[in-house]
Amino acid sequence: MAKFDNWRSPVAHLSEGFPSSLTELPFTHQINLRGDITDKAFKTAVKKATGLVLPVIPNEVGMGKDNIKALWLSPNEWLIVSDHEITDIRDSLAEIHSAATDVSANRIILGLSGPDALEVLMKSCEMDLDPNVFKTGQVVQTLIAKSQAIIEKVSDDTYHIYVRNSFAAYVCEWLVDAHVEYRM
Amino acid sequence: MLLIECPYCGKRHETEFRYGGEAHIVRPEKPEDLNDTEWADFLFMRTNTKGVFAERWYHANGCRQWFNALRHTVSHQIIAVYKMGEKPPVSDQGSEDR
Ligand SMILES: [Zn+2]
Repeated sequence: MAKFDNWRSPVAHLSEGFPSSLTELPFTHQINLRGDITDKAFKTAVKKATGLVLPVIPNEVGMGKDNIKALWLSPNEWLIVSDHEITDIRDSLAEIHSAATDVSANRIILGLSGPDALEVLMKSCEMDLDPNVFKTGQVVQTLIAKSQAIIEKVSDDTYHIYVRNSFAAYVCEWLVDAHVEYRM
Repeated sequence: MLLIECPYCGKRHETEFRYGGEAHIVRPEKPEDLNDTEWADFLFMRTNTKGVFAERWYHANGCRQWFNALRHTVSHQIIAVYKMGEKPPVSDQGSEDR
């Protein structure tokens, strides 16, 4: 993981004050991918380079092998998140009208879990997070305390929250504060 | 606050969107042929409808797509949303009695 050797988290100074239900996930490889999903060549090239079938249904996450996934962001945009570096995607897409941009340094990922996770999130976000509406395997781009965020529901009571580095400390402080009443 | 249905993402809170003004204003084919009044008319003059109004919205904090909406300017009721390039699914002629 040489790529992340000198990287410092923008919330490192706050992590001591995190409740046990809030964690920062290790740095991951993130690629912002844009392209025309109706173009067979694009679909095939992405599948070949990543093993992923890109989700076309809005707000869905497409899972691949070895902890790689594609988060639906818009009709022609996905965030590919992976434990391992995706090296050959740009070569595979070279002849195709598309864009693959390494955005690993754009956002940190926070894990929020436990029985109080939903309520903590509800205090900070106007999105309808009711389990009947927002289901495991879905993702939304919305606002947390007015700051842009991607929220992925990874299990019944676990959310991954992707926030911009420059807003990360602010969002963390907000979530820590929102959690105070549940700390006994 | 409005609950706006993005044609891509679904129902979202108004704070995720930006307003884009009147919809279906077509840029003149040959701006160089217009006089100042006609050009100003294209740039600045908008209808001030009391009733059903076709307008553009931008899902700024979601999918970052533009779309159109028919909204009643008195009740704020959103009658329909439809994608860019599509025609209004129902008449946008202002009816004041909705
Ligand atoms: Zn949207």
